[in-house]
Amino acid sequence: MKMKKNKFNKIFSLKCIVNGEKIERDIDSSLTLLGFLRNDLNLKGTKEGCGDGECGACMALVSGKAVNSCIMMAVQAHGKSVITIEGLKDKNKLHHIKKSFIDEGAVQCGFCTPGMIISAQALLKTKPKANIKDIKEALSGNICRCTGYEKIIGAVKKCAKG
Amino acid sequence: MFPDLIVKPLSLKELSKTLLSLPSDRKYLAGGTDLVVRANADIENSRYWIDISGLEELRYIKETAKSVLIGSQVKASELEDSRIIKKHLPTLLSALPHFASPSLRNMATLGGNCANASPSADLACALVSEEAYIALYLKGKKRKMLLKDFFLGLRKTALRKDELIWGFEIPKISHKGAYMKLALRSSFAISKIGIALSVRINQNKVEYLSIALVSVAPKIITAPKTCDFLKNKILSPEILDKAASIIQKEVNPITDIRSDGDYRRSMAGVLLKKAFKEVLK
Repeated sequence: MKMKKNKFNKIFSLKCIVNGEKIERDIDSSLTLLGFLRNDLNLKGTKEGCGDGECGACMALVSGKAVNSCIMMAVQAHGKSVITIEGLKDKNKLHHIKKSFIDEGAVQCGFCTPGMIISAQALLKTKPKANIKDIKEALSGNICRCTGYEKIIGAVKKCAKG
Repeated sequence: MFPDLIVKPLSLKELSKTLLSLPSDRKYLAGGTDLVVRANADIENSRYWIDISGLEELRYIKETAKSVLIGSQVKASELEDSRIIKKHLPTLLSALPHFASPSLRNMATLGGNCANASPSADLACALVSEEAYIALYLKGKKRKMLLKDFFLGLRKTALRKDELIWGFEIPKISHKGAYMKLALRSSFAISKIGIALSVRINQNKVEYLSIALVSVAPKIITAPKTCDFLKNKILSPEILDKAASIIQKEVNPITDIRSDGDYRRSMAGVLLKKAFKEVLK
């Protein structure tokens, strides 16, 4: 069968906002958001763990909501605001959740930490008075193989009001 | 295998243009939580994907006098936040926390959960129990069928080539709902077995009942014999024991990586009773 002529271009003109900065980039349309963040924008804080949306190391905020950037295609972030671990700041100070993780000793190898903090940020934005059950539920898509979770949950609880 | 190209139409007009010119080895991309994972595992090998997540026409939750209408591109977390869902679809609402993780719920769509046709699809199961209809769209024409009839087998649906899931129409039936699931852990796990119960009980008598189950057959199934037995009966422990033995004969589970067939069969009865307990609370 004669193939119809493909007039589509492999390149996609992606427009989005990353960590507050307007980005306009011609990208390979079959790139994941994680690949775009790490390789095109050099934002290496977002990690690739399982690559299947199971472990949460790749968590980023898209339109304020936590997503697994390893299984989101970059084209799906078109027109949206993306925040990575690098973009979480309290003005010029260390972000309060990051500080809490340090103060509480919630970091061991550190690979899961950016994802944990992004999930915690998504939770506390919508539920500032989150309880332990809320925190466990919000972090249920983030896997840590070092800490046993207690200190991570404690670090997030310290940031919750009340 | 990842596709060579992803096209992102932003309107139905753009979509029809895309379908005219893109080679036929193509697939729709919605939330991506199944499709991308399957591409990663080389199970999905379409060369072209059409990202339909930008089609605003498919993103709505609204109600009419008789129905609740949900667009296929509505994400699971948007359902959790919806006043209309909370008011009219208790079974679907009950299934939402059991579905994947919070971040996957921010990505996965109701349409995608149905198109993937997994026998363990929690949201699709709840919708079958809610007696939902599915609306399909191809080249400007829509057709509608019961969601229960949309699933033909393991990962097989009634979708025709290039047909799109437009949305869902769920009749407003006064009822309570419960979704019960057994899995390897309490959160973020695929079920060994799950049951969706939509029921209206008046003075302990079963006035209305609809049951759907996951992970006990190659596709989501209903339990018509159990429903027939329970309808208009006054609930008692003996009646529920009898219903449990009927539902155990209606399921057809296999032994696989997640569970054992006999255990699943036995648990069908246990979960039925638990689901009734939950709605009677």
